[in-house]
Amino acid sequence: MSLAKIFSVSSRVRASGVSGVIVKRAQYSSSSEGNVEKVYPQNIPGYKYVNAEEQDMSFRAMSDRAAQTMFWTELARGFAVTLAHIFKEPATINYPFEKGPLSPRFRGEHALRRYPSGEERCIACKLCEAICPAQAITIEAEERKDGSRRTTRYDIDMTKCIYCGFCQEACPVDAIVEGPNFEFSTETHEELLYNKEKLLSNGDKWESEIASNIRADHLYR
Amino acid sequence: MSLGKFLALDKLSNFFNVIRQNGGIRASLYKLYRQDDVKDGVLVGEDKYGNKYYENPRFFYSRNRWVEYSDKYYLNYDGSQVPAEWFGWLHYKTDLPPHQDPSRPHYKWMADHTENLSGTTAQYVPYSTTRPKVEAWEPKRKDSV
Repeated sequence: MSLAKIFSVSSRVRASGVSGVIVKRAQYSSSSEGNVEKVYPQNIPGYKYVNAEEQDMSFRAMSDRAAQTMFWTELARGFAVTLAHIFKEPATINYPFEKGPLSPRFRGEHALRRYPSGEERCIACKLCEAICPAQAITIEAEERKDGSRRTTRYDIDMTKCIYCGFCQEACPVDAIVEGPNFEFSTETHEELLYNKEKLLSNGDKWESEIASNIRADHLYR
Repeated sequence: MSLGKFLALDKLSNFFNVIRQNGGIRASLYKLYRQDDVKDGVLVGEDKYGNKYYENPRFFYSRNRWVEYSDKYYLNYDGSQVPAEWFGWLHYKTDLPPHQDPSRPHYKWMADHTENLSGTTAQYVPYSTTRPKVEAWEPKRKDSV
């Protein structure tokens, strides 16, 4: 066995070397039509046989394996792989500075939107409250002084919410939306019990991105 | 493939380029300390909070756009400090930075961005926006006796 093979970095050399894998030849349908010889494992180009392969037990193959074990060539190969990975570009992203791609349909933190005039959109139809499978939304409505129907209470328990997006689908006026923000983790439970003011302020903060998301998705709405 | 690339000399020139773009060895070490990474890129824009946005298509997708948080945050940078206007660009939803995107609305009622204030004195505390429906009965004191 050559020295180059003992210290070979690639494990592929070893697999396809002199001492290959035993190829079993089985004969099926021996009685009737002509002998169709089937090779196992099948050698189809483009496919890789991944199961455990039976080792060649010829003396030469056995001594080759013993040599590899004795000279610790696997160790050298492992160090080579480690060294190569030090110089590779990392496959991870540096999160708070680099961020992963998001869809315009991403369902994050809820927000209540306003019309361009500044009037709040929600008309307290309670469709979102009715459809919410986690029953996370609580709405109370009253007539406002100018006679329009508005909510006095719009609470979402963000710890009950399962972020299914049914509320924004049910909403006839695009008032409740699940915005793009996902960085709203809190230190206490109570901070996640959102009320109407919090949801409206979310909408005021995120309107630029919410409107862009709705615009990006307008062909499917 | 050129000889310089074959001998990985472009990596060396990249290295010096990165250090030059980040303002010298001291500034590069400071950035490495603060951001765990020093990269070279094109300044795409800056938001009104002082965060700078860079791009370099040499890096793979999702590493090719990044934000450098304003110096005033020092080590207290947070992912939620990216305002809504730049959020879409940084998350690869759009290739248009906000100052080149005419479709982004600008209403006067739109509020300033705030970072996630949980754990600070300015954190959100839930309260009821309606009057309670049940009020406890407080019996009147008898004036006599």
